[in-house]
Amino acid sequence: MTNTYRELVIGGVLIAPIVSYAAIALVAFLMLRPLLRIVGFARIFSNPSLAELCFYVALFGMLALFF
Amino acid sequence: MRVNVTSAAALRPTVFAGFPASSWAFALRVWMAMMLALYVGFWLELESPSSAALTVAVLALPTRGQGMEKAGYRLLATVIGVIASIAIAGMFSQTGGLLLAVLGIWIGLCTYVASMLDGNRAYAVALCSITVALIAVEQIDTPLQVFPTGVARGAAIGIGVLAVAFVNEVLAAPSYHPVLASRIEALHRRVMNLVQDAERGETPSAAVAAGLLHDIAAVRPEIVSLTTESSIGTARTAAARSALVDLVSAFSVGRMLSALPTAPARDAAGLMAMSRSWLRTQIRQKDAQVRGSLDALRQGTPPYRAWRAPLYRSRRIAAETGVRAAISFALIAIVFVLTGWPATELCLALVAVIISLGSISPAPRGFTMVAVMAMPIASILAGVLKYLVFNGVSEFQLLAIGLAPVVIGLALLISLPSPMPSSLGRLVLVFTLAVLAPTNPQSYDPEVFLVTALFACLSSVLVFAAQMLLPPLSGDRRVVLLLGEIRRELGGLGRGRARDLAPEEAAFRDAVRIEQVLTAHGPSALDDQTAGEAMRCFDQAEALRRCHAELDQVRQGPLTTAAQAARAALAGRNGGAILAAAEALRQAAARSELPANAAIAALVAASVAFAPSRSPTAASQGTRP
Repeated sequence: MTNTYRELVIGGVLIAPIVSYAAIALVAFLMLRPLLRIVGFARIFSNPSLAELCFYVALFGMLALFF
Repeated sequence: MRVNVTSAAALRPTVFAGFPASSWAFALRVWMAMMLALYVGFWLELESPSSAALTVAVLALPTRGQGMEKAGYRLLATVIGVIASIAIAGMFSQTGGLLLAVLGIWIGLCTYVASMLDGNRAYAVALCSITVALIAVEQIDTPLQVFPTGVARGAAIGIGVLAVAFVNEVLAAPSYHPVLASRIEALHRRVMNLVQDAERGETPSAAVAAGLLHDIAAVRPEIVSLTTESSIGTARTAAARSALVDLVSAFSVGRMLSALPTAPARDAAGLMAMSRSWLRTQIRQKDAQVRGSLDALRQGTPPYRAWRAPLYRSRRIAAETGVRAAISFALIAIVFVLTGWPATELCLALVAVIISLGSISPAPRGFTMVAVMAMPIASILAGVLKYLVFNGVSEFQLLAIGLAPVVIGLALLISLPSPMPSSLGRLVLVFTLAVLAPTNPQSYDPEVFLVTALFACLSSVLVFAAQMLLPPLSGDRRVVLLLGEIRRELGGLGRGRARDLAPEEAAFRDAVRIEQVLTAHGPSALDDQTAGEAMRCFDQAEALRRCHAELDQVRQGPLTTAAQAARAALAGRNGGAILAAAEALRQAAARSELPANAAIAALVAASVAFAPSRSPTAASQGTRP
């Protein structure tokens, strides 16, 4: 199965799909941060920042896979 | 089990070749991130992979949060700078002198805004003008290349940021909040020692007090980086901010307590005792609040109250700095136009870089001196690397090995606590990479290297010469301007429209202004007269604001008339009249059996602050440690 990527076009400039996925994942991650704080995400892991990076990579990967 | 990497390292500091293990770890992280950025840059066949390496050098900060915060601002500033470059190149291309004038105005405007901000925000604004310089100025003769150059620079910076973030996360770069918490704790101890001295009737000299305020306010730009550190970073930032604001508040209450006379006149003894008791309660309360905020900072929970920590912005100083930056750039551009040398775009771009970076440093002239020293060192290092170490090789592994001693050595220099070698190390690292310009395949053209190295050195010398012709705003002039603004604001306090700030927040803003006075004054100790003047205004403004805040509480009801009389006495700035108003308020409160102790106590403290004996010379007297 070949995934068809839709390119973002801003003022005639084509933006590579990977850039838009990275940006959307970043926005989604920032919006989820308050939720992570409420559930105590940082307290579960010994290296919380690495866990957060992994969470971002997972979000980014899912976006690239399913959209 | 949760492992705290930083605390484990802090227990057993290992020193190797004169540098602690944490500095070596930092230097290794910088080298690894730089190599990762270069490798990915080569792999993606970016047009300017050296920009990715430069980004790593710029973002080389010892803790994760600081690096991430700067990275965010760097990305944002690059986007704004690229848009501005396209707009400037689109509108003013082929206009000759007008284009250079517009570039000068842009640099001046960015310098103006940067002077109104602090920390990495100021850096971001300076980077907006640097980006324009590196894109629009370098492509001054080929405006059609502005957009591709901007995209290439954006991509390279993105790669650099990702490399730094990845290496810092995977190698567990230390968090910043333990460092910040211990710094605030040390400041808390100093403030409490000062308060205990005040209880004993000892008053520290104005210079010592101003120094403590400087140290508290100097933490302000660094607390924002906690936000980017983790998902609970926002709460930590709020907690650190509250702790700082409460520290300044405790400090100011301590000053009020120490100013109260130990042997007052018999008719004022009751009022003085009341004021003393209220001030002690306030200090205990502030002490508990600082402790609570410090606990919240460590645990990552929101503080009891999220104070704002406003920054003082001097429009006059910002405008003068901006105008001087614009004129310096224009002068150097005119020199290039008059000489008619070819290929001077790089030199002009570097001039803009040095002017912009210098404008956000506390001493622009000192920064230019460091740049003048750094450029030849960087050129020699790049030359040695290019023609003695690499000398024709093109394998990435050899590039990584060859760069290792230089990058690690300079990163060790950056990690030093002293600002001068640290700043020199960063500039040498950045300019070595800029002159070396690693590309795939590597260019070994000696002519290109010589021209680049010559222009790099020339740019710093030209900025230095321009600053000789038009000196940047001197520290003394800044101090005079700031003191004038302090006096003017104190004169208008309580008369015009009040700012939307709580007394605690306004006191912090005043502390930031004193920090700016001390920073402008330079490393030498502040003279007693200036320090005394600054601290006297700080004490009086704080007393006035507290009185107004407490009088607002008794604004309505039977105490209205007495409160209005007290306000009139405050407007007169007369210590005796304020004390009389406090006595009248006490009698009115006793008659109507209403609590007004806080307002009375604040008025008594204000009466002492405005007593005729608190002249500028008397206020600077005190004990020195």
